[in-house]
Amino acid sequence: MIGQSMTRIDALGKVTGETPYPGDINLEGQLWLKMRFSDRAHARITAIDTSQAEALPGVVAVFTAKDVPVNEYGLVIKDQPVICGPGSDMPGSDIVRTYMDCVAVVVAETDAIAAKAVKLIDVTYEDLPAVFDMEAAMEDDAPQLHADSPNNIICHYRIRKGDMEAGWSQADVVVEGVYETGYQEHAYLQPEAGLGYIDEEGRVTVIVGGQWVHEDQEQIYHALGLPPEQVRVIYPAIGGAFGGREDMSVQIVLALAAWKLQRPVKTIWSREESILHHHKRHPMRIYSKWGATKDGKIVAAEAKVIGDAGAYNYTSNKVLGNTNLMVTGPYEIDNVHVDTYGVYTNNIPCGAFRGFGGPQGAFAAEAQMNKLAEALGMDPVEVRMKNVLREGSLLTVGTPLPKGVTIPQVVEACAEESYWRRGDGAWHLNRPPQPDNPALRRGIGFACGFKNVGFSFGFPEQNWATIELHGGAEIEEVIVRQAGADVGQGAHTVFVQMTAEAVGVPVEKVRLLTHDTAKTQTSGSSSASRMTFMSGNAIRGAAQQALQLWQDEERPAIATYQYKPPKTTPYHPETGESEPNFAYGYVAEAVEVEVDIETGHIHVIKVVCANDVGVAINPQQITGQIEGAIVQAQGYAIMEHLISNEGKIQNPFLSTYLIPTVLDVPTEVKSVVLELADPRGPWGARGMAEMPFIPLAPAITAAVHDATGVWFDEIPMTPDRVVTKLREHGIGIL
Amino acid sequence: MNVSITINGTVYERDIEPRMLLVHFIREELGLTGTNIGCDTSQCGACTIHMDGRSLKSCTCLAVQADGREITTIEGLADGDNLHPMQEAFWDNHGLQCGYCTPGMIMASTAFLKDNPHPTEEEIRHALEGNFCRCTGYQNIVKSIKAASEKMGG
Repeated sequence: MIGQSMTRIDALGKVTGETPYPGDINLEGQLWLKMRFSDRAHARITAIDTSQAEALPGVVAVFTAKDVPVNEYGLVIKDQPVICGPGSDMPGSDIVRTYMDCVAVVVAETDAIAAKAVKLIDVTYEDLPAVFDMEAAMEDDAPQLHADSPNNIICHYRIRKGDMEAGWSQADVVVEGVYETGYQEHAYLQPEAGLGYIDEEGRVTVIVGGQWVHEDQEQIYHALGLPPEQVRVIYPAIGGAFGGREDMSVQIVLALAAWKLQRPVKTIWSREESILHHHKRHPMRIYSKWGATKDGKIVAAEAKVIGDAGAYNYTSNKVLGNTNLMVTGPYEIDNVHVDTYGVYTNNIPCGAFRGFGGPQGAFAAEAQMNKLAEALGMDPVEVRMKNVLREGSLLTVGTPLPKGVTIPQVVEACAEESYWRRGDGAWHLNRPPQPDNPALRRGIGFACGFKNVGFSFGFPEQNWATIELHGGAEIEEVIVRQAGADVGQGAHTVFVQMTAEAVGVPVEKVRLLTHDTAKTQTSGSSSASRMTFMSGNAIRGAAQQALQLWQDEERPAIATYQYKPPKTTPYHPETGESEPNFAYGYVAEAVEVEVDIETGHIHVIKVVCANDVGVAINPQQITGQIEGAIVQAQGYAIMEHLISNEGKIQNPFLSTYLIPTVLDVPTEVKSVVLELADPRGPWGARGMAEMPFIPLAPAITAAVHDATGVWFDEIPMTPDRVVTKLREHGIGIL
Repeated sequence: MNVSITINGTVYERDIEPRMLLVHFIREELGLTGTNIGCDTSQCGACTIHMDGRSLKSCTCLAVQADGREITTIEGLADGDNLHPMQEAFWDNHGLQCGYCTPGMIMASTAFLKDNPHPTEEEIRHALEGNFCRCTGYQNIVKSIKAASEKMGG
């Protein structure tokens, strides 16, 4: 079954419309919930009057901060009140720190009544000074958002490798840049929705879309002060996630309301509510300076990274940890000095989004690499091949990568399959002809990247699977319990394929039990490109043990296996020395663009993506991930411009926040799937779904530079920005 | 207001508020949840249905405007257990991932093929510009529609 493009096990329900998403499920007697959000970026709530809302006919209950037993939550740091306002004994929970804070929850007989009632809640604010710029937030006199984070600094990571002075003294060329990346909104097509109720065993149950049922469960029972077994989380089909469902949205308040009222409670967010009230990809400002010898060897790299975490941590300290490692690219550099900061501001919180800090790091690193190539008069592929990490190379954090380092092969494959030819011992770019229209300029760009597979820096990493073999003389049915979320990527199909392979039965005999804390043990989140890798190893382990029991005549033969990969370690606080990850994926991309120098529109004509997936367990799903990631990354680089003004999102609609349509996407995407096995991966598989996102933006800026001679160090490259910048260089209609 | 709307071959008579959108009528009055809501501003196309054989974003239409009309939703596209060739094509060609846009994509493309049974790839792309997908990068969706058109004799 490994290597076959089995069609999705969930396809039938999805093409007939029968598959329920969280908003499609109803229970008898259900009530409707609506959240009231903050009207201020930073303020203390001195009073909250809910009497008018409560008096509205049809309103069943209004919950405020005083009603939340343990009024805090957060995926990594519990720094956010579930509901902000007076009356909670959690210190600081009377303060709103962002417009996305919840200040009250209304439950009513209908959605319309609940919507009307939230507007009747009278909140009295006492404004506090606010800060919206990440560097201003680090100043000594800046408003402080959280008592335990002086200067609003959540995390400061350092990398100190080698001798910088010696490095700079060897450098024949030095390139510098200040890189700015914007917010990105996940824009999964299914806005947040859910249903809370008390199940047949009395458990507070939430049906919702997320990325990790057991983590949702943990955050709910913590806030409600309940024992774990009294809370249950179930996912039906999930309408996309991309990291955006890793943190709580409606989960805790639905559970709270269902628990307090002992009735089913439902909510569906509008698109506007979704964009305004879940986290984003971090805007970052990156100062970077690299030096190289004239024959192309990088001898020194210095970077300072500042990431705007917004008002709460979410996964910021983990995201910035990744950027810290990736901001110097997949290159072996002897002398490295990096400082990376995650900073609280009164902006919307930022957190996980496909690539998890990698795209921002790669944007700076690959631009630096392309600028070095230009400064040296070398080919961008050639200069990469002189510096890429190889088997045994030391990372900037002083330790070697796990075995199976394939970035050299990936870079070469991408070059060969796109616009480069090897000759006379060097790489040469073959440019396609320019269009006849002088307003249209074509260019080619190249970038590469690496990304961890699985949780990093000492985070406990695990995945549980149970395999049950049923039958008599032969195995008639295989039940696999594996909690991992299928957020659309096709994880469940791959679970079934891997189970069939591990047990040695046809897929028709495999039945998957998943997406339910009552039926499975933890799988970790569908994130970090980890699910195939982690679940595959767990399924393999469970299958081996179950088959042994089967041979020993046990009927049914049931085995549960916990896969734990090799341990990783956190950054040393002074030097950054660490063993950051147990596995990586490697990727390279070549891009052809056409820039309209009069309108500023950038058309991506072709993308060639070489991605080492280890082993392609389901090739069709692999190319589906590559194609989807490229389009999402193209949106990030060119189109998607989320505008925040003093902490308030200005364009919270798909009519004003533009994501790529079918007419915006590359005319051609060529997926070059490499299968260079990861020794630790199940059947050799690596994680792969984030990787194609990572180098695309810098490949596009390189292509735009190739077309126009102008470097763009800020994304998104919206037409107005492109026109303005080109004009500064005397290009376009002046 | 009283309306009589035929949906998937069944006549539904209801007394509804004039402000009710057709998509809410379909989802909430009738419980046909295959028609999805993705944006509220008529961009995403997840709510695409057929009205009198033409594709329509059902969030752009009041339910009262559908009075006396024939509506087909994704639930009514298959002929009993026999899937429509477009449904099969999306299944076979990995034309979906999370699946939330899929009913709208299928309804938009089946209506399009009625007008243009032999579309080029470029024509398919133009026909889908009102339907968003955040997962697939659209390549396999275009491929699915091409495959369906060929299967349907296009």
